[in-house]
Amino acid sequence: MFEDLIHIFFPRTYTLENGKTVREKFSIVPYLVIVFAVLVIFCAVFTGTNLKVLAERGGNFFDILHRMIPPNWNYWSTMQKAMLDTINMSLLGSVFGCAIALPVSFYLSSNFKLNKTYLVSHRFALSLLRTLPTLVLASFLRMVLGIGALAGTLAISVFSYTICVKMMYEYIETLDMGAYEALESTGASRLRCILGAVWPQVKGFFFSTFLYCFESNVKSAAILGYVGAGGIGLNISGQLTLRKYDNLGLVLIAMTLTIMILEAAARYARRKLVTG
Amino acid sequence: MKQLTLESQYRKYPKAWPQFIIGAVVVCAIIIIWNITVEFEGFTQRGWSIIGVAMRGLFTPSWKVISDMSSSGLLHMLFETFAIGFLGTVFGTIIAIPFAFISSRNIAPRWVNLIFLVIITLIRAFPSIMYGIMFVKTVGPGAYAGVLTMTIGSVGMLSKLLVESVEDINPGIIEALDAAGCTGFQKVRYGIMPQLSSSIISNVLYRLDINVKNASVLGLVGAGGIGAQLIFAIQDRRWSDAGAMLWGLVILVLLIEYISTRIRNSLAGKS
Repeated sequence: MFEDLIHIFFPRTYTLENGKTVREKFSIVPYLVIVFAVLVIFCAVFTGTNLKVLAERGGNFFDILHRMIPPNWNYWSTMQKAMLDTINMSLLGSVFGCAIALPVSFYLSSNFKLNKTYLVSHRFALSLLRTLPTLVLASFLRMVLGIGALAGTLAISVFSYTICVKMMYEYIETLDMGAYEALESTGASRLRCILGAVWPQVKGFFFSTFLYCFESNVKSAAILGYVGAGGIGLNISGQLTLRKYDNLGLVLIAMTLTIMILEAAARYARRKLVTG
Repeated sequence: MKQLTLESQYRKYPKAWPQFIIGAVVVCAIIIIWNITVEFEGFTQRGWSIIGVAMRGLFTPSWKVISDMSSSGLLHMLFETFAIGFLGTVFGTIIAIPFAFISSRNIAPRWVNLIFLVIITLIRAFPSIMYGIMFVKTVGPGAYAGVLTMTIGSVGMLSKLLVESVEDINPGIIEALDAAGCTGFQKVRYGIMPQLSSSIISNVLYRLDINVKNASVLGLVGAGGIGAQLIFAIQDRRWSDAGAMLWGLVILVLLIEYISTRIRNSLAGKS
């Protein structure tokens, strides 16, 4: 038994009858499994993960949910502006971000054979920007632009821009360039070539990317109010400190419903776009 | 036969005016929405001076924060962020795989699928900041609440993605193993795992990217990670502290993105 375990890590060597030696194939997987397990355990200790705590106090989770029911419907009139702002901010941000991203992504795809240094440096700058969560961008912009939806909208625009550009240029690079070359050979200008040959191919993908951005932005916009960048987050943090859980329940219902409706609408629109 | 003339062909060219009308309507709608939501009141001349100061601070990160090894130091917070994202992904995967199997059409009966699909949709529709708040109330503030939040978020997304790949399993291979007299374990090991492992691993790595990035956000509701310290530094205008944390976060996320892209590409190349 012990021997078998050892041989998982150190492959066996067999000597055949004709004197030849055969080594078992060496696999790195067992070592990776051990590294992985050590990492999991170390992280668990580091973060204080303790299933016993969850088992003992997991009931609190539903306790809070329970206190949110029934929601306080009268709170709707106070929060409806913030709720609308959240959706509007993500819509505006996605529209601006994706609208700017569309022309730029043509510049950044390598199959149009543009300036290489520009392409690489711009892509690198974008991947740096992409690592920043919307919230960090928003809290920075809020210091510059002041409290309000403007900072949130801009932060969402920047985030949508970086995501949309990346997805678009990766998609454009996989396209069939035959039609583009054919138009180019007739002497059409580059803009004409793109409009005539490439845009019809990327149209569906672009709109579905936009919908994806919009959807994920609505989810992330909920927290932006925490740093004063507009939207429902301000209401969430305010009602939480006041321990008005019934108001919080209404916010929760409104958010959940909005996201579900948006997701269903996006799925429907995407199916329409893909089938034409 | 009808004669083809230049004019008749030209008339077949798609009309442009419906697109113009749609475009105009969209632009008007955006302007209206902009006016409802955005106000310019907050923006003053001081904003420009802040940009200059902030940029100078962000590019001269404070070494005091970087070299601080205690629990408020940069390395500790970065590792905490990574740990939250990583553990959230691991636990999420462990829960998501059985979820995905149960909600696949070819494994369980339809009504069971529907129940689980509704649960998955509800999990996904619930905003993650709410999970953060509720877990902080449940297990107390700290990284553990972040781990739980990330776990739930991962379950929602991973099981949705995995359902598709489970439904694509080729039943022929399992039937062949059946015919060869394999045991249940062997069927799973040699019939199902090779078909699923690459899609599971690539989806999980993708989620790890997202989780590490989002783990930094949760700090704001008290669920650990670098986010809270970073945002407080920005709000207190300690720009060089913020710069140190920002660069740390950027490097961490880029590193994880790089590694996971490498692994995903090598998986895609193999299959």
